[in-house]
Amino acid sequence: MSYDWSVVWRHADLLWEGTKVTIFLAVTTMIIAVPGGIVLALMRLSGIRILAAASATFVEFFRNLPLILVIYTAYYILPVATGLRFSPIATAIVALSLNVSAYNGETFRAGIASIRKGQSEAGYALGMSRTRVMFEIVLPQAVRRVLPVLASTWVSLFKDTSLVSVISVGDLAFESMRVRSQTFRVLEMLTAMAVIYWLLGYPQAKLVDWINKRYRVNE
Amino acid sequence: MIETQAKPGRGESGSVPTVSYHEIRKRFGTFEALAGVSMEIYHGEVVCLIGPSGSGKSTLLRCTNGLETMDSGDIKLDGKSMPKDWNGMRGVRQRMGMVFQNFELFPHKTALGNVMAGPIGVLGKPRKEAEQRAMDLLRKVGLVDKAYSYPAQLSGGQQQRVAIARALAMDPEIMLFDEPTSALDPETIGEVLNVMKQLALEGMTMVVVTHEMAFARRVGNWIVVMDRGAIVEQGRPEQIFDAPAKDRTRDFFSHLGWSG
Repeated sequence: MSYDWSVVWRHADLLWEGTKVTIFLAVTTMIIAVPGGIVLALMRLSGIRILAAASATFVEFFRNLPLILVIYTAYYILPVATGLRFSPIATAIVALSLNVSAYNGETFRAGIASIRKGQSEAGYALGMSRTRVMFEIVLPQAVRRVLPVLASTWVSLFKDTSLVSVISVGDLAFESMRVRSQTFRVLEMLTAMAVIYWLLGYPQAKLVDWINKRYRVNE
Repeated sequence: MIETQAKPGRGESGSVPTVSYHEIRKRFGTFEALAGVSMEIYHGEVVCLIGPSGSGKSTLLRCTNGLETMDSGDIKLDGKSMPKDWNGMRGVRQRMGMVFQNFELFPHKTALGNVMAGPIGVLGKPRKEAEQRAMDLLRKVGLVDKAYSYPAQLSGGQQQRVAIARALAMDPEIMLFDEPTSALDPETIGEVLNVMKQLALEGMTMVVVTHEMAFARRVGNWIVVMDRGAIVEQGRPEQIFDAPAKDRTRDFFSHLGWSG
């Protein structure tokens, strides 16, 4: 069997376009899912039963469904059910955000719960309101504490964006597969795809390690 | 050594206590933490709550600023019942400073940031004014050179002094101390007690839960001995330490190895 690696270079522009879409998907999803996760955690811990139940239902629903199913559902069923039609990339971002927000919600909830009661009490003793204690005292510490977890979620998300290729979003996986099916160069294209994902992912994993060290909570 | 002066008004008719407790009761499950405690704190007094662990001292202190809820009873501030609702309690807390056993400094803020947290976040003071006042307070507790250090970079004694400055920044009428030296290394206890003594000399009304008997004797001017959620006896330090009226008090001192 002979290899023709030139297929990779000849389609470098497509791979580059796909890479940009992959990065865009991951970044946009995280920009939505971090505040989303905080809102879910605050709802869960609000002490208001209906908010807590809504948050718990959301989290358990989206955390326990395969992401690919959420993507398919958002793409094929939602437009029929609601009459709204989003572009594939918008649909992809919605599906990814639902999934990652659910994970982040649990992450932030655990982070907030890990801040000991005395910290809130110190805020209350100064006469602070509940809101101020949460946003000035508890949340900044919780966010620092869960940074390593958020970073891991980010690395997972970066790879999981490849699932959106099933709804024809032109990400790195989709473009690689397209070149493959046009040229029948399976091994070359899969290798190229692996190398690009790995080269992008490895520094991120290293960054996670660094964040772990840098932001370890000192008390 | 400080003179334990007789505070005018203690027990006299006509003077209104700064804080008065009426039949405070509190249960944690089946454990009776406070079994109907009544006592008074007068303006300018240093009241020391002593007694064995689990005797209800800290619980009583924490009821004072509403960090702990009471099952029944009433606490009056300047003769007026304290509000029961959250927002009313916020107002009360702004008039009381609290110092915790474990310091509870905010680890993500510098010493200066900790001291400014109340004035900026609660009183809405301009940053510049709050900063100046915070620096003055850090100077007062001897830590102006540590203003930009984070709590993790400070020793226990230094952290507790910052915590005292943080509470003072709210210009409280009363300071509540919940075992302020119990988590400290022996060699740093003195620096914290000195700051507290200085405050007492300036006339601050203080309620101190403590196991430091020498401090209670020398700085305190009213001693309350508690056991099993009730007051065993209370009185001036020389009476409590030199001539305790109750066996339970003598028993407690003997367990401490304190012979008066």
